[in-house]
Amino acid sequence: MPAARAAEVAVVDLDVCDRCGLCLPLCPPEAIHLDLTALVVDRTACTGCRKCVAPCPVGALAMIPA
Amino acid sequence: MPDIDVLVVGAGPAGSIAAREAARASHGLEVVLLERDRAVGAPVRCAEGVGDAGLREFASPEGAPWAARKITRVIFLAPDDTEVQVAERDVGWILDRTRFDAMLAAEAVAAGADLQVGTEATGMTREVDGRWAVAVHGPDGRAVYRARVVIGADGVETMVGRWAGLDTRVPARDMESCAQYVVQGIDFDPDAIYLQFGDGIAPGGYAWIFPKGDGVANVGLGIVALKSDGRNARAYLDAWIARRYPRGARTGVTVGGVIVHTTIKQTYGDGILVAGDAAHMINPLSGGGIVNAMKAGRLAGRTAAAAICAGDTSADRLAAYHHDWMQLLGDDHLKYYRIKQALERLDDAFFNGLARTVNAIPREKRTLGRIFAQALVKHPQLIPVAARFFI
Repeated sequence: MPAARAAEVAVVDLDVCDRCGLCLPLCPPEAIHLDLTALVVDRTACTGCRKCVAPCPVGALAMIPA
Repeated sequence: MPDIDVLVVGAGPAGSIAAREAARASHGLEVVLLERDRAVGAPVRCAEGVGDAGLREFASPEGAPWAARKITRVIFLAPDDTEVQVAERDVGWILDRTRFDAMLAAEAVAAGADLQVGTEATGMTREVDGRWAVAVHGPDGRAVYRARVVIGADGVETMVGRWAGLDTRVPARDMESCAQYVVQGIDFDPDAIYLQFGDGIAPGGYAWIFPKGDGVANVGLGIVALKSDGRNARAYLDAWIARRYPRGARTGVTVGGVIVHTTIKQTYGDGILVAGDAAHMINPLSGGGIVNAMKAGRLAGRTAAAAICAGDTSADRLAAYHHDWMQLLGDDHLKYYRIKQALERLDDAFFNGLARTVNAIPREKRTLGRIFAQALVKHPQLIPVAARFFI
Protein backbone atom coordinates (compact mmCIF):
# COMPACT_ATOMS: atom_id res chain seq x y z
CA MET A 1 0.00 0.00 0.00
CA PRO A 2 1.50 3.39 -0.90
CA ALA A 3 2.15 5.83 1.95
CA ALA A 4 -0.48 8.50 2.52
CA ARG A 5 0.33 11.72 0.74
CA ALA A 6 1.58 14.59 2.85
CA ALA A 7 -0.79 17.55 3.30
CA GLU A 8 2.09 19.96 2.74
CA VAL A 9 5.40 19.71 0.93
CA ALA A 10 8.57 21.79 1.10
CA VAL A 11 9.47 24.15 -1.71
CA VAL A 12 12.71 26.04 -2.24
CA ASP A 13 13.03 29.64 -3.44
CA LEU A 14 15.97 29.28 -5.80
CA ASP A 15 16.57 33.05 -5.84
CA VAL A 16 17.27 32.94 -2.10
CA CYS A 17 18.88 29.48 -1.72
CA ASP A 18 22.69 29.54 -1.52
CA ARG A 19 22.98 25.77 -2.11
CA CYS A 20 24.84 25.30 1.18
CA GLY A 21 23.45 21.78 1.66
CA LEU A 22 22.50 22.22 5.34
CA CYS A 23 18.97 20.88 4.78
CA LEU A 24 20.03 17.56 3.21
CA PRO A 25 21.01 15.65 6.37
CA LEU A 26 18.00 17.13 8.22
CA CYS A 27 15.50 15.48 5.87
CA PRO A 28 14.30 12.14 7.36
CA PRO A 29 13.18 10.62 4.00
CA GLU A 30 16.23 12.11 2.20
CA ALA A 31 13.90 13.93 -0.20
CA ILE A 32 16.25 16.87 -0.81
CA HIS A 33 19.10 16.72 -3.33
CA LEU A 34 21.73 19.11 -4.60
CA ASP A 35 22.67 19.04 -8.24
CA LEU A 36 25.13 21.20 -10.15
CA THR A 37 22.82 24.19 -10.35
CA ALA A 38 19.94 23.82 -7.90
CA LEU A 39 18.48 22.41 -4.73
CA VAL A 40 15.74 19.93 -5.57
CA VAL A 41 12.91 18.71 -3.32
CA ASP A 42 11.34 15.42 -4.36
CA ARG A 43 7.66 16.19 -3.76
CA THR A 44 6.67 12.53 -3.90
CA ALA A 45 9.13 11.68 -1.09
CA CYS A 46 8.61 14.78 1.13
CA THR A 47 6.49 13.89 4.19
CA GLY A 48 5.73 17.51 5.14
CA CYS A 49 7.61 17.27 8.47
CA ARG A 50 8.96 20.87 8.16
CA LYS A 51 12.34 19.93 9.68
CA CYS A 52 14.15 21.71 6.85
CA VAL A 53 12.28 25.04 7.08
CA ALA A 54 13.49 26.88 10.22
CA PRO A 55 17.16 25.79 10.03
CA CYS A 56 17.68 27.33 6.57
CA PRO A 57 20.07 30.22 7.33
CA VAL A 58 18.45 32.45 4.70
CA GLY A 59 14.82 31.30 4.87
CA ALA A 60 14.78 29.75 1.39
CA LEU A 61 12.47 26.84 2.28
CA ALA A 62 8.71 27.05 2.88
CA MET A 63 5.73 24.71 2.96
CA ILE A 64 2.92 24.74 0.41
CA PRO A 65 -0.20 22.56 0.12
CA ALA A 66 0.67 19.32 -1.63
CA MET B 1 34.85 3.38 -18.17
CA PRO B 2 38.25 3.73 -16.48
CA ASP B 3 39.22 1.27 -13.73
CA ILE B 4 40.98 3.06 -10.88
CA ASP B 5 42.00 2.24 -7.34
CA VAL B 6 40.73 5.11 -5.20
CA LEU B 7 38.08 7.70 -6.06
CA VAL B 8 37.90 10.60 -3.60
CA VAL B 9 34.75 12.72 -3.85
CA GLY B 10 35.31 16.31 -2.67
CA ALA B 11 38.57 18.30 -2.66
CA GLY B 12 38.23 19.98 0.71
CA PRO B 13 40.74 19.30 3.51
CA ALA B 14 39.50 15.72 4.10
CA GLY B 15 39.48 14.75 0.42
CA SER B 16 42.77 16.32 -0.60
CA ILE B 17 44.64 14.80 2.33
CA ALA B 18 42.99 11.41 1.67
CA ALA B 19 44.05 11.55 -1.99
CA ARG B 20 47.56 12.70 -1.09
CA GLU B 21 48.04 9.95 1.48
CA ALA B 22 46.63 7.20 -0.74
CA ALA B 23 48.89 8.27 -3.62
CA ARG B 24 51.94 8.53 -1.38
CA ALA B 25 51.30 5.16 0.28
CA SER B 26 51.85 3.23 -2.92
CA HIS B 27 53.17 4.77 -6.13
CA GLY B 28 51.35 2.37 -8.39
CA LEU B 29 47.89 3.31 -7.13
CA GLU B 30 45.59 5.25 -9.43
CA VAL B 31 43.88 7.92 -7.37
CA VAL B 32 41.26 10.34 -8.75
CA LEU B 33 40.11 13.39 -6.76
CA LEU B 34 36.79 14.96 -7.81
CA GLU B 35 35.78 18.57 -7.07
CA ARG B 36 32.26 19.71 -7.94
CA ASP B 37 33.12 23.41 -8.08
CA ARG B 38 35.12 24.85 -10.95
CA ALA B 39 38.01 25.72 -8.63
CA VAL B 40 39.19 24.07 -5.42
CA GLY B 41 38.60 26.26 -2.36
CA ALA B 42 35.73 28.44 -3.60
CA PRO B 43 33.16 29.29 -2.45
CA VAL B 44 34.40 29.44 1.15
CA ARG B 45 31.83 28.16 3.67
CA CYS B 46 33.92 28.47 6.80
CA ALA B 47 35.03 30.80 9.58
CA GLU B 48 38.60 29.72 8.67
CA GLY B 49 39.99 29.26 12.21
CA VAL B 50 42.31 26.35 13.12
CA GLY B 51 44.28 25.36 16.20
CA ASP B 52 48.07 25.71 15.99
CA ALA B 53 49.11 22.18 16.99
CA GLY B 54 46.62 20.41 14.74
CA LEU B 55 47.51 22.52 11.72
CA ARG B 56 51.24 21.84 12.14
CA GLU B 57 50.71 18.11 11.65
CA PHE B 58 49.94 18.95 8.03
CA ALA B 59 51.56 22.23 7.05
CA SER B 60 53.83 24.94 8.42
CA PRO B 61 51.98 28.28 8.62
CA GLU B 62 54.89 30.74 9.08
CA GLY B 63 55.01 33.03 6.05
CA ALA B 64 52.61 30.83 4.10
CA PRO B 65 50.33 32.69 1.66
CA TRP B 66 47.36 30.66 2.93
CA ALA B 67 47.81 31.80 6.55
CA ALA B 68 45.93 35.10 6.91
CA ARG B 69 46.57 35.80 10.58
CA LYS B 70 48.24 34.33 13.65
CA ILE B 71 46.03 34.30 16.76
CA THR B 72 47.51 34.58 20.27
CA ARG B 73 44.46 35.47 22.36
CA VAL B 74 40.89 34.28 22.87
CA ILE B 75 38.38 36.80 24.19
CA PHE B 76 35.07 35.45 25.40
CA LEU B 77 32.20 37.92 25.56
CA ALA B 78 29.48 37.14 28.08
CA PRO B 79 25.87 37.80 27.01
CA ASP B 80 26.08 41.21 28.76
CA ASP B 81 29.31 42.08 26.81
CA THR B 82 31.69 41.47 29.77
CA GLU B 83 35.05 40.61 28.18
CA VAL B 84 37.08 37.66 29.46
CA GLN B 85 40.54 36.96 28.08
CA VAL B 86 41.45 33.33 28.70
CA ALA B 87 44.61 32.44 26.79
CA GLU B 88 47.81 34.04 25.63
CA ARG B 89 50.01 31.66 23.67
CA ASP B 90 50.06 29.96 20.27
CA VAL B 91 46.32 29.67 19.96
CA GLY B 92 45.91 29.20 16.24
CA TRP B 93 45.58 30.68 12.80
CA ILE B 94 42.97 32.23 10.57
CA LEU B 95 43.38 30.65 7.16
CA ASP B 96 42.68 31.86 3.68
CA ARG B 97 40.67 28.75 2.83
CA THR B 98 40.70 29.40 -0.91
CA ARG B 99 44.50 29.30 -0.93
CA PHE B 100 44.79 26.65 1.77
CA ASP B 101 42.49 24.20 -0.01
CA ALA B 102 44.28 24.85 -3.30
CA MET B 103 47.63 24.13 -1.63
CA LEU B 104 46.36 20.82 -0.22
CA ALA B 105 44.91 19.78 -3.59
CA ALA B 106 48.22 20.67 -5.26
CA GLU B 107 50.00 18.38 -2.79
CA ALA B 108 47.63 15.56 -3.74
CA VAL B 109 48.42 16.16 -7.41
CA ALA B 110 52.16 16.29 -6.70
CA ALA B 111 51.83 12.92 -4.95
CA GLY B 112 50.28 11.49 -8.12
CA ALA B 113 46.52 11.98 -7.75
CA ASP B 114 44.46 13.05 -10.77
CA LEU B 115 42.36 16.12 -9.84
CA GLN B 116 39.18 16.68 -11.84
CA VAL B 117 37.52 20.04 -11.15
CA GLY B 118 34.01 21.08 -12.19
CA THR B 119 33.16 17.40 -11.94
CA GLU B 120 30.27 16.08 -9.90
CA ALA B 121 29.54 12.52 -8.82
CA THR B 122 25.90 11.85 -9.74
CA GLY B 123 25.38 8.34 -8.42
CA MET B 124 27.08 5.03 -7.72
CA THR B 125 26.31 1.33 -7.76
CA ARG B 126 28.26 -1.71 -6.64
CA GLU B 127 29.34 -4.11 -9.38
CA VAL B 128 29.60 -7.89 -9.16
CA ASP B 129 33.42 -7.74 -9.00
CA GLY B 130 33.17 -5.58 -5.86
CA ARG B 131 34.10 -2.27 -7.48
CA TRP B 132 31.95 0.84 -7.18
CA ALA B 133 30.81 2.26 -10.52
CA VAL B 134 30.59 6.01 -9.90
CA ALA B 135 28.85 8.13 -12.53
CA VAL B 136 30.37 11.59 -12.94
CA HIS B 137 29.43 14.68 -14.92
CA GLY B 138 32.15 17.16 -15.83
CA PRO B 139 33.43 19.55 -18.50
CA ASP B 140 34.02 16.63 -20.89
CA GLY B 141 30.53 15.21 -20.37
CA ARG B 142 29.53 12.08 -18.56
CA ALA B 143 31.80 9.20 -17.54
CA VAL B 144 31.91 6.27 -15.12
CA TYR B 145 34.84 5.41 -12.86
CA ARG B 146 35.11 1.87 -11.54
CA ALA B 147 36.92 2.25 -8.20
CA ARG B 148 38.09 -0.32 -5.67
CA VAL B 149 37.53 2.15 -2.83
CA VAL B 150 35.44 5.33 -2.81
CA ILE B 151 36.22 7.94 -0.15
CA GLY B 152 33.28 10.26 0.47
CA ALA B 153 34.64 13.64 1.55
CA ASP B 154 31.67 15.53 0.15
CA GLY B 155 30.78 17.65 3.13
CA VAL B 156 27.67 18.27 5.18
CA GLU B 157 25.37 17.38 2.27
CA THR B 158 27.16 14.07 1.57
CA MET B 159 25.59 12.08 -1.21
CA VAL B 160 28.29 9.39 -1.21
CA GLY B 161 27.35 8.29 2.31
CA ARG B 162 23.72 8.14 1.28
CA TRP B 163 24.41 6.15 -1.90
CA ALA B 164 26.50 3.68 0.09
CA GLY B 165 23.62 3.13 2.52
CA LEU B 166 25.24 4.82 5.52
CA ASP B 167 23.01 6.86 7.82
CA THR B 168 24.29 10.44 7.63
CA ARG B 169 21.11 12.15 8.81
CA VAL B 170 21.26 14.50 11.78
CA PRO B 171 18.62 15.59 14.32
CA ALA B 172 17.60 19.24 14.09
CA ARG B 173 18.88 20.00 17.61
CA ASP B 174 22.40 19.09 16.48
CA MET B 175 22.49 21.28 13.37
CA GLU B 176 23.88 24.78 13.69
CA SER B 177 22.67 27.19 11.07
CA CYS B 178 25.46 29.64 10.33
CA ALA B 179 25.81 32.94 8.54
CA GLN B 180 28.92 35.07 8.13
CA TYR B 181 30.05 38.29 6.49
CA VAL B 182 33.50 39.62 5.81
CA VAL B 183 33.29 42.97 7.62
CA GLN B 184 35.70 45.81 6.92
CA GLY B 185 36.54 49.02 8.77
CA ILE B 186 35.89 47.75 12.28
CA ASP B 187 37.87 48.08 15.50
CA PHE B 188 39.07 44.94 17.31
CA ASP B 189 42.25 43.30 18.60
CA PRO B 190 43.70 41.74 15.42
CA ASP B 191 45.62 39.11 17.42
CA ALA B 192 42.49 37.76 19.12
CA ILE B 193 39.44 35.78 18.22
CA TYR B 194 36.21 36.86 19.92
CA LEU B 195 33.42 34.47 20.87
CA GLN B 196 30.09 35.67 22.28
CA PHE B 197 27.37 33.52 23.79
CA GLY B 198 23.81 34.44 24.64
CA ASP B 199 20.25 33.35 24.00
CA GLY B 200 19.40 36.68 22.36
CA ILE B 201 22.62 36.72 20.31
CA ALA B 202 23.09 33.18 19.02
CA PRO B 203 20.75 30.68 20.73
CA GLY B 204 22.34 27.23 20.93
CA GLY B 205 25.58 28.45 19.35
CA TYR B 206 27.85 31.49 19.46
CA ALA B 207 28.86 34.53 17.50
CA TRP B 208 32.46 34.99 16.36
CA ILE B 209 34.93 37.57 15.11
CA PHE B 210 37.91 35.97 13.36
CA PRO B 211 40.44 38.60 12.16
CA LYS B 212 41.79 38.32 8.63
CA GLY B 213 43.79 41.56 8.70
CA ASP B 214 43.75 45.09 10.11
CA GLY B 215 40.12 46.09 10.46
CA VAL B 216 38.91 43.11 8.40
CA ALA B 217 37.34 40.02 9.95
CA ASN B 218 35.05 37.08 9.37
CA VAL B 219 32.06 38.02 11.52
CA GLY B 220 29.46 35.32 11.88
CA LEU B 221 27.31 33.21 14.13
CA GLY B 222 25.63 29.86 14.42
CA ILE B 223 22.22 29.15 15.94
CA VAL B 224 20.17 26.05 16.62
CA ALA B 225 16.90 26.79 14.85
CA LEU B 226 14.82 24.92 17.48
CA LYS B 227 15.91 27.57 20.02
CA SER B 228 15.38 30.54 17.70
CA ASP B 229 12.72 33.19 18.29
CA GLY B 230 11.60 32.65 14.70
CA ARG B 231 14.41 34.53 12.97
CA ASN B 232 16.88 32.73 10.74
CA ALA B 233 20.67 32.79 11.21
CA ARG B 234 21.20 35.68 8.82
CA ALA B 235 18.65 37.83 10.67
CA TYR B 236 20.38 37.15 14.01
CA LEU B 237 23.71 38.09 12.43
CA ASP B 238 22.38 41.32 10.92
CA ALA B 239 21.07 42.33 14.34
CA TRP B 240 24.36 41.50 16.09
CA ILE B 241 26.51 43.39 13.60
CA ALA B 242 24.14 46.37 13.67
CA ARG B 243 24.59 46.54 17.46
CA ARG B 244 28.38 45.94 17.65
CA TYR B 245 29.63 47.39 14.39
CA PRO B 246 27.03 49.80 13.00
CA ARG B 247 29.66 51.43 10.74
CA GLY B 248 31.25 48.19 9.47
CA ALA B 249 31.03 47.51 5.74
CA ARG B 250 29.59 44.04 5.13
CA THR B 251 30.59 42.09 2.06
CA GLY B 252 30.01 38.60 0.78
CA VAL B 253 27.52 36.75 2.96
CA THR B 254 28.27 33.05 3.46
CA VAL B 255 25.84 30.53 4.93
CA GLY B 256 26.08 26.87 5.84
CA GLY B 257 25.43 24.13 8.34
CA VAL B 258 27.75 22.83 11.05
CA ILE B 259 26.81 19.44 12.49
CA VAL B 260 27.47 19.59 16.24
CA HIS B 261 26.80 15.94 16.87
CA THR B 262 29.18 12.97 17.02
CA THR B 263 30.73 10.71 14.40
CA ILE B 264 28.15 8.70 12.43
CA LYS B 265 27.69 5.16 13.76
CA GLN B 266 29.37 3.58 10.78
CA THR B 267 31.87 5.43 8.58
CA TYR B 268 32.73 2.51 6.27
CA GLY B 269 31.24 -0.22 4.15
CA ASP B 270 32.39 -2.58 1.42
CA GLY B 271 34.76 -0.44 -0.66
CA ILE B 272 33.63 2.79 1.01
CA LEU B 273 34.93 5.27 3.59
CA VAL B 274 33.49 8.65 4.57
CA ALA B 275 35.57 11.40 6.16
CA GLY B 276 35.26 14.92 7.54
CA ASP B 277 31.96 16.81 7.71
CA ALA B 278 30.35 14.00 5.68
CA ALA B 279 30.90 11.67 8.66
CA HIS B 280 30.03 14.38 11.24
CA MET B 281 33.66 14.49 12.42
CA ILE B 282 33.32 17.90 14.02
CA ASN B 283 34.15 19.04 17.54
CA PRO B 284 30.60 19.49 18.87
CA LEU B 285 31.67 22.14 21.40
CA SER B 286 33.60 24.41 19.06
CA GLY B 287 32.09 23.46 15.72
CA GLY B 288 35.66 23.16 14.40
CA GLY B 289 36.13 20.70 11.56
CA ILE B 290 39.22 21.49 9.47
CA VAL B 291 41.88 19.64 11.47
CA ASN B 292 39.42 16.83 12.22
CA ALA B 293 38.81 16.48 8.50
CA MET B 294 42.53 16.35 7.70
CA LYS B 295 43.22 13.74 10.38
CA ALA B 296 40.32 11.61 9.15
CA GLY B 297 41.42 12.07 5.52
CA ARG B 298 44.92 10.88 6.42
CA LEU B 299 43.52 7.76 8.08
CA ALA B 300 41.10 7.13 5.19
CA GLY B 301 43.76 7.48 2.47
CA ARG B 302 46.21 5.21 4.24
CA THR B 303 43.58 2.62 5.15
CA ALA B 304 42.28 2.52 1.57
CA ALA B 305 45.78 2.13 0.10
CA ALA B 306 46.72 -0.64 2.53
CA ALA B 307 43.46 -2.49 1.86
CA ILE B 308 43.96 -2.32 -1.91
CA CYS B 309 47.56 -3.51 -1.64
CA ALA B 310 46.35 -6.43 0.53
CA GLY B 311 43.65 -7.29 -2.01
CA ASP B 312 40.84 -6.92 0.52
CA THR B 313 38.55 -3.88 0.44
CA SER B 314 35.71 -5.50 2.37
CA ALA B 315 33.84 -3.70 5.15
CA ASP B 316 35.54 -6.00 7.66
CA ARG B 317 38.96 -4.78 6.59
CA LEU B 318 37.96 -1.09 6.27
CA ALA B 319 36.41 -1.14 9.77
CA ALA B 320 39.94 -0.45 11.02
CA TYR B 321 39.45 3.14 9.81
CA HIS B 322 36.44 3.65 12.06
CA HIS B 323 38.23 2.11 15.03
CA ASP B 324 41.35 4.25 14.50
CA TRP B 325 39.28 7.43 14.12
CA MET B 326 37.31 6.79 17.31
CA GLN B 327 40.55 6.26 19.22
CA LEU B 328 42.14 9.34 17.72
CA LEU B 329 39.28 11.84 18.17
CA GLY B 330 35.84 10.27 17.83
CA ASP B 331 35.67 9.14 21.47
CA ASP B 332 36.70 12.66 22.60
CA HIS B 333 33.83 14.07 20.55
CA LEU B 334 31.42 11.82 22.46
CA LYS B 335 32.66 13.41 25.71
CA TYR B 336 32.44 16.93 24.28
CA TYR B 337 28.90 16.20 23.16
CA ARG B 338 27.89 15.31 26.71
CA ILE B 339 29.42 18.58 27.94
CA LYS B 340 27.53 20.46 25.23
CA GLN B 341 24.27 18.91 26.42
CA ALA B 342 25.01 19.94 30.02
CA LEU B 343 25.97 23.50 29.02
CA GLU B 344 22.70 23.86 27.14
CA ARG B 345 20.87 23.91 30.47
CA LEU B 346 22.76 27.01 31.70
CA ASP B 347 21.27 30.45 31.07
CA ASP B 348 22.62 33.93 30.26
CA ALA B 349 22.67 34.98 33.93
CA PHE B 350 25.00 32.05 34.66
CA PHE B 351 27.46 33.02 31.93
CA ASN B 352 27.42 36.68 32.99
CA GLY B 353 28.26 35.57 36.54
CA LEU B 354 30.96 33.17 35.38
CA ALA B 355 32.61 35.97 33.38
CA ARG B 356 32.88 38.09 36.54
CA THR B 357 34.28 35.16 38.53
CA VAL B 358 36.99 34.54 35.97
CA ASN B 359 37.85 38.24 35.66
CA ALA B 360 38.43 38.33 39.44
CA ILE B 361 41.39 35.97 38.91
CA PRO B 362 44.51 38.00 37.95
CA ARG B 363 45.27 37.46 34.26
CA GLU B 364 48.74 36.05 34.86
CA LYS B 365 47.21 33.44 37.21
CA ARG B 366 44.34 32.65 34.88
CA THR B 367 45.24 29.07 34.08
CA LEU B 368 42.51 26.76 32.92
CA GLY B 369 42.82 24.69 36.11
CA ARG B 370 42.38 27.74 38.34
CA ILE B 371 39.46 29.03 36.27
CA PHE B 372 37.83 25.64 36.54
CA ALA B 373 38.35 25.35 40.31
CA GLN B 374 37.06 28.89 40.99
CA ALA B 375 34.13 28.38 38.68
CA LEU B 376 33.09 25.20 40.44
CA VAL B 377 33.20 26.90 43.86
CA LYS B 378 31.22 29.97 42.81
CA HIS B 379 28.87 28.28 40.36
CA PRO B 380 27.68 24.90 41.63
CA GLN B 381 25.50 24.63 38.50
CA LEU B 382 28.75 23.70 36.75
CA ILE B 383 29.25 20.54 38.80
CA PRO B 384 27.07 18.37 36.55
CA VAL B 385 29.00 19.73 33.55
CA ALA B 386 32.30 18.84 35.19
CA ALA B 387 30.97 15.43 36.16
CA ARG B 388 29.95 14.70 32.60
CA PHE B 389 33.44 15.47 31.41
CA PHE B 390 34.81 12.55 33.38
CA ILE B 391 31.98 10.09 32.69
